[in-house]
Amino acid sequence: MSNARSTSIMGRESGDRVVLLLVIALALVMVAPVLWVIGLSLKHNAELMANTNSVFYPPYTITNYINILGTSSVFRWILNSLIVSGGLTIFTLVLASLAGYGFARLNFPGRDILFIIVLLGLAVPEQAVLIARHQIFGMLKLHNSYQGLILPGLSAPFGVFLMTQYFRAIPKELDEAALLDNASRFTIFWKVLLPLTVPAQATLGIFTFLWSWNDYLWPLISGTKKEMFTLTVGMASTQTNFAQSEGLGFLMAQAVFAGAPILILYLFFQKYIVTAVSGAAVR
Amino acid sequence: MTAHIEIKDVVKRFGAATVIDHLSLSIDPNEFMVFLGPSGCGKSTLLRMIAGLESVDEGTISINGARIDNLPPGKRDIAMVFQSYALYPHMTVADNMAFGLRNIGVAADIISARVAEAGRMLEIGHLLERKPGQLSGGQRQRVAIGRAIVKEPKAFLFDEPLSNLDAALRVRTRVELAQLRHRVKSTMIFVTHDQIEAMTLADRIVVMNNRKIEQIGTPMEIYSRPATRFVATFVGSPTMNFVPVRVAGGETGGATVILGDGTHVKTAIPTMKLKAGNFTLGIRAEAVRVAIDGQGVTSGTVDVLERLGDRTLIYTKLKDGSVVVAEDIGYSRVAVNDTVSLSIDGSRVHLFDASDRAWHCEEGLDG
Repeated sequence: MSNARSTSIMGRESGDRVVLLLVIALALVMVAPVLWVIGLSLKHNAELMANTNSVFYPPYTITNYINILGTSSVFRWILNSLIVSGGLTIFTLVLASLAGYGFARLNFPGRDILFIIVLLGLAVPEQAVLIARHQIFGMLKLHNSYQGLILPGLSAPFGVFLMTQYFRAIPKELDEAALLDNASRFTIFWKVLLPLTVPAQATLGIFTFLWSWNDYLWPLISGTKKEMFTLTVGMASTQTNFAQSEGLGFLMAQAVFAGAPILILYLFFQKYIVTAVSGAAVR
Repeated sequence: MTAHIEIKDVVKRFGAATVIDHLSLSIDPNEFMVFLGPSGCGKSTLLRMIAGLESVDEGTISINGARIDNLPPGKRDIAMVFQSYALYPHMTVADNMAFGLRNIGVAADIISARVAEAGRMLEIGHLLERKPGQLSGGQRQRVAIGRAIVKEPKAFLFDEPLSNLDAALRVRTRVELAQLRHRVKSTMIFVTHDQIEAMTLADRIVVMNNRKIEQIGTPMEIYSRPATRFVATFVGSPTMNFVPVRVAGGETGGATVILGDGTHVKTAIPTMKLKAGNFTLGIRAEAVRVAIDGQGVTSGTVDVLERLGDRTLIYTKLKDGSVVVAEDIGYSRVAVNDTVSLSIDGSRVHLFDASDRAWHCEEGLDG
């Protein structure tokens, strides 16, 4: 009996070790390209032109980063990305929360039909509406503006769906207790229910920010002037025909620079991101 | 401040279904009224109508003569304790209690004083800075009561507040509630499906069934003079025994009933208004005793014994097949399959006619 148990524990331990090794191997596969990019960014372009294996030995330099700070428009693009992603995230959270509360708690004619229409938005690919949207934004003179970059992202059916489901999961007794506590509808929304949706807000906010930060297609179409490029579009614009051979170190430094804000975001919101991603996986 | 609550002819419908059907009721100031009934009888709906959480389709609800059924819940001067407690999870205990007062602009020092007083009264003063998630079920329950108390309302509504507690805590909290009601002078309405809660807490009980009131009365009235067979069945443990009987006519004084096995039982139920014919005899277990030396009026075979410590319940099958639960002492010597002689206390029986109307004994008549 005890032998069987110790065998089973040993079996489990060796199984855990195999899993651990697999996880380490996978982590190395994931992190290797990042380390490669950082390594390349710390080498002179000329040296890399001769042989990229020079990344494994000195000399290393921060010239590429100094060149970014001195000559590139990357700061402007980062600012644009921050404004667009930040603005989009804030407005999405506000709209999705209000809509979610409305769909979950208010009774109004056509509510269920309207909710279905919103959900249908999940099935419409961006490419299908791209040309029409481009024309409408052109007529409204919204191209090359922050509004033009932010507005399309505000139609966020996933956000509305997520918040609706979250509000629905909050017991209605809380609303009722607050009603008896003389709270107005807005007070109930603002002081009782909204604070309880922070986990959902964090999930939605993180996903929205990351999606917007990495978005390429619409900013490429709408922001045609260099000063209105977001980081993704700006980075792509620097990749001339010979950039990958003649300016590889500089290019990699730009990539590191572009990824830094996301890294910082991750460090701050690590807990929420892990929860959000694992939650999404379970769902 | 206390409330005289008057409910007049109220109706509540959910779509085509009528859940409260022309119900009227008056609750006196400072009274502890319990709405008792099975699930789906409409008792919680009625409570929620008083609270303003459900609309009133017909009829009126008034407090101290002023109609409140057209007022929003927050304007009715009523506090409610929910079954799930409905504490705000992100607020501390103190904030939970203060929330309602802040919404009506009560001064901060008054709020602090009331919260501290409620905390002291309910012995949760040391928990004021904790959040509900850090509290046990019993502590949450006290906070929910505290949230109601600080508002100093005209009436308290309790919607099955003990049902989420374990058995031991429920008994303790029940006793504490009974003590609390004497300290907090206010009208209280308590909804439950637990007859023990109803019997132990209530000044009066409203027994509800199938959207209507079956009986309103003090706990002992409900227990000893149930108005209908439903009330007799629902209140009391074990459930009242029901035995088909025939009432012999042409008597004066107490009626004699004839059991299925031919046994005659003299009761204290006046015969004046009774017509001879078939009835159902209702007898509580404590009115049926095991008779020593075969002196009982009938006999039966013991099917099951339930030893409860202080008494023993004996499930006995009579000769005609009907089952009667009798009561004996804790150390009863009766065993399963024994044939026992049973005495029936004719002064503590009830008769129910075909329409379930009840007939009770009167003092002074021989049973």
